[in-house]
Amino acid sequence: MDGDSAHSMEAEREMTRLWRTFRTVYELLADRGYEVSDNELLLPLEDFRAKYSDPLGYPDRTKMKIQARPTETMKMKYTALPSKANPNPQPDCGTIYVDFCPDSSGVGTKQVRAFNHLVDENNFHTGIFITQTPISPSAVRLLSGVPGRICEHFQEQDLLVNITRHELVPKHVLLSPEEKAKLLERYRLKESQLPRIQISDPVARYLGLRRGQVVKIIRKSETAGRYASYRWVI
Amino acid sequence: MAQQGSSHPLKTSLPETYAAVNAQQPPPSHLYPTQEEQDRYLAGRPGATQQHLEVALQHAQQIQTQKDAEDAILNRILELIELPSSPSADPAAPSQEDTVKLKYSLAPFRPSDYDNLILERNFEDLCGYALCPRKHRRQATGPRGGFQFKYGPKGSGPGGRGRSVDIVSQDRIEKWCSDACAERALWIRVQLSEKPVWERRAGDTRGTTILLLEEARAKRLKAPAATSSVSSVVDDLQSMGLGNRDRSGELALERGDTSLVRPDGRVDVNIRENQGGSQQVAGAPQMRPEDANGGSIEGYVPRERRGADQDGDIDLLDQI
Repeated sequence: MDGDSAHSMEAEREMTRLWRTFRTVYELLADRGYEVSDNELLLPLEDFRAKYSDPLGYPDRTKMKIQARPTETMKMKYTALPSKANPNPQPDCGTIYVDFCPDSSGVGTKQVRAFNHLVDENNFHTGIFITQTPISPSAVRLLSGVPGRICEHFQEQDLLVNITRHELVPKHVLLSPEEKAKLLERYRLKESQLPRIQISDPVARYLGLRRGQVVKIIRKSETAGRYASYRWVI
Repeated sequence: MAQQGSSHPLKTSLPETYAAVNAQQPPPSHLYPTQEEQDRYLAGRPGATQQHLEVALQHAQQIQTQKDAEDAILNRILELIELPSSPSADPAAPSQEDTVKLKYSLAPFRPSDYDNLILERNFEDLCGYALCPRKHRRQATGPRGGFQFKYGPKGSGPGGRGRSVDIVSQDRIEKWCSDACAERALWIRVQLSEKPVWERRAGDTRGTTILLLEEARAKRLKAPAATSSVSSVVDDLQSMGLGNRDRSGELALERGDTSLVRPDGRVDVNIRENQGGSQQVAGAPQMRPEDANGGSIEGYVPRERRGADQDGDIDLLDQI
């Protein structure tokens, strides 16, 4: 009897944790500019439990697969400026696919290879691989080495809390190529003269920033009300 | 420039991949931007010269080589996970084919790459040693990441008594199927070179000549035996003729000894007692007149006593 209740307690805890991760994933997709409905953003725990639990009450990660398409604003932000060589540029973004890895330990090249294959086969532009434990160094390299596709990795515990909702994290806004060009012209700068932000920065990872983009960071200021700074992703 | 390179499969110093590239694309100049492309690039930049472009291209090539080497290492890790080729292979006597493949694949590895290989094999439920088909150990008890006592054989403790005890973290034990495999795998690890493959020199043999533990042991057995019996040592010493007088004289000359060596092998020693020292016996200290008041302390006479001696400076306050 005691064993049973201990089991269900543990299942309940895991379910709640995963629910929070799951909601953060939807917030992440919405913040990046993908099409996400309000129902998905505000999914209550009961619905999540009903939908994604196995008969024992534990979460069933194999069911938790998410796909989302970019919105028009996002497409605009990811379209390069037309140039002589490329007068009609296409947006460099597309359908995103999120996969939760069901293995509780030892995630290595095998799982990552399967994930890469899946992304490639279904022609997704971006893939996010979410695991419970850290993945091996070779797996990281394998994940980033898919030509023409972007594969990212997060741990479940990294997404337990949405870091961008913390009061000490300022608002990061991605600039479109057009806005970036205007900024550089306004301040008569080369992009290499901007302050920088690492691509491995937690917020940069959250927003899926790419090398060469410029992000606008808006902080609260006691004297000026708002203070904006710009950083070049490197 | 790196993008320029990536459209062509490989630019590399690794012989295997180099051969592959050459087979596909005959002219190596194909990997380089053409003169026309270079001119067009320079035309857009007034400050840049041909020399700048060449330096940039050279750096790009170097970076590309590194990337290729890392990719090659990753591919080899993926291949080595599949070893050994037969599920009934014996790690103590691996097949010739697997051995050759392992040695060949490990050549560009650093110890950290080798650790990655072990990790990947463990994730696949295999022993960390690449030529072992068994599963790695799993301790059912205890929390993950704990420590364990490991007892040595009887008589391995301090002073040859009892058993030696090691405290080992659990994941270090669980990497292997047995202690023998751990030894084999770590024996290979110490032979790998710390230098990344793109920085190695042509004559650098470290890391390229890898011996398996079994091979190294066989080699050591074939070498002249270091241990020998007491009688053979005695025979050897006698054959050197150390007792021979002429021979020892020669040896002494060779050592650079200048004095003659006595035939019985000892130095001439004369013992002489030390004479002519003072025979006086120190007497007991005697009282001198100046010692009546305690005398001076290394020439200093304390003030109180000095005042009494001189009979002057009487303190008036005392008298009132």
